[in-house]
Amino acid sequence: MEDLLHMSALIQLRIDGELHELEVLPNATLLDVLRDEVGKKGTHMGCRTGHCGACTVMIDGKVAKSCITLAASLPRATITTIEGLQQDGEMGPIQQAFWDEAGLQCGYCAPGILLSTAELLADNHQPSAAEVDQALAGNLCRCTGYQSIKRAVHSACVRMYPDQETGIEEG
Amino acid sequence: MSLYPMYARPRSVEEAVGLLAGLSSGAVVVAGGQELMPAVNSGTLMPEVFIDVAGIEALRGIDFNEGVLSIGALTVHRELQGNALVGEHLPLLANSASQVGGGWQVHNRGTIGGNIVAMHPLYDIAPSLLALEVELEIADESGVRTTAFADVLTDTRHGLGSDSLLVRVLARPQPSGSCWGYQKFKSTGGAYGSANAAAIVQLDGQSLSAVRLVVGAAAEKLEVIDLSHIVGKPWSEDVGRTIEAACREAISQPLSDQQGDAEWRRAMAGVVARRAVQQAINSQREEGAA
Ligand SMILES: Cc1cc2nc3c(=O)[nH]c(=O)nc-3n(C[C@@H](O)[C@@H](O)[C@H](O)COP(=O)(O)OP(=O)(O)OC[C@H]3O[C@@H](n4cnc5c(N)ncnc54)[C@H](O)[C@@H]3O)c2cc1C
Ligand code: FES
Ligand code: FES
Repeated sequence: MEDLLHMSALIQLRIDGELHELEVLPNATLLDVLRDEVGKKGTHMGCRTGHCGACTVMIDGKVAKSCITLAASLPRATITTIEGLQQDGEMGPIQQAFWDEAGLQCGYCAPGILLSTAELLADNHQPSAAEVDQALAGNLCRCTGYQSIKRAVHSACVRMYPDQETGIEEG
Repeated sequence: MSLYPMYARPRSVEEAVGLLAGLSSGAVVVAGGQELMPAVNSGTLMPEVFIDVAGIEALRGIDFNEGVLSIGALTVHRELQGNALVGEHLPLLANSASQVGGGWQVHNRGTIGGNIVAMHPLYDIAPSLLALEVELEIADESGVRTTAFADVLTDTRHGLGSDSLLVRVLARPQPSGSCWGYQKFKSTGGAYGSANAAAIVQLDGQSLSAVRLVVGAAAEKLEVIDLSHIVGKPWSEDVGRTIEAACREAISQPLSDQQGDAEWRRAMAGVVARRAVQQAINSQREEGAA
């Protein structure tokens, strides 16, 4: 049994395209590893209880709250943080849409909201308003009142899929 | 044993239960961590050993064999919502998984196994599982046993026993011709319901020929509501009131917490129960009309 117990775990994460080999403590969260070991300060900490969504990242293309994800449980994974949404050093379409539509005010929630938007728009090119609400249900924003966020999701969808009609009503 | 927490990633059920048997109460099984990690972060839970079961293949996948759906303990809420077998045979379970709070982030990582073992009174999956009368495949050092879900429901949270691993959930399809309803009543914008109800209803023409109704979130334990006295009757407002009264009576020790105070919870238990049965009947009528 003793040979199954370890003081730390070795994990391999491809984070925003770059490979990192990390030795993490058994109780370390993915949030702490990203911010403190890898320097991805774009990933925000709001609560550490799983409620606010500011710490949202993508793990293998699916959103997760990094504050309640055990880093050791990801022996190999691909992680996308807010920093990974840029394209060639410029803002990517989702980022540009949030910028243009003022989809953020203080911006604390934005990293998480943009990644939830990214997962939604990756497989759904014509989300309805209800589907947008569902995709953003795990993210709280204390500033915008959400209306400009919904406009920004709509605008991101139009930028990414210019030939499709979206189901979101224009705000 | 070290002063610092340790980590283990067993590759098989045997390895995992061997670890659980050899370690004292300080070891915890981690699946998605969606329940454990908030407690670890706040310092209310300080495990000595994290036993990460995500590498155990036997805990994964959904298959349908000889009339039984076998759902791996590591199946996440998102899979329950999207899996074709679950959608076809257990739509009640798929729907209750979609009503779990916390957003896609929690649905992508939270597992059916973690949800069951946590035995949290406010959680969403258990009322449906009890309505569906599922069985659990549970392993410990002496082997694997199959137990009715109802038999592991205790009034202590985390009721499996610290040396056991939940391997799979076994369910028979919802009876053909039956209809179902799941209602979650939230009094706040938060994740949890103040009262939840799952119903499976069979109709014979206009009359109710069988009703299985489970109410959650209103008391520490789930309640199966005895509705034998309405069987044979057609739906009416009077029957609705009878269901409400039966729930109020069954919930003798309602919870009183952030989700609402005791008397109100007991009243809401009746309301969600009536609505769940009504939802089931309405869905059948719509299908009949279509
Ligand atoms: C913001 C937020 C909102 C939420 N809202 C809801 C909601 O509305 N409704 C709801 O139902 N839930 C809700 N949840 C709870 C969510 O954590 C559970 O639904 C989830 O299913 C837990 O699964 P897990 O795999 O993450 O559990 P874990 O945290 O990994 O484990 C939970 C418990 O089960 C044990 N365990 C796990 N797997 C096994 C196994 N195979 N064998 C033996 N023991 C095991 C662990 O040791 C632990 O005690 C919410 C969670 C968050 C963070
Ligand atoms: S910091 Fe992770 S959900 Fe709030
Ligand atoms: S912009 Fe401030 S929290 Fe969302």
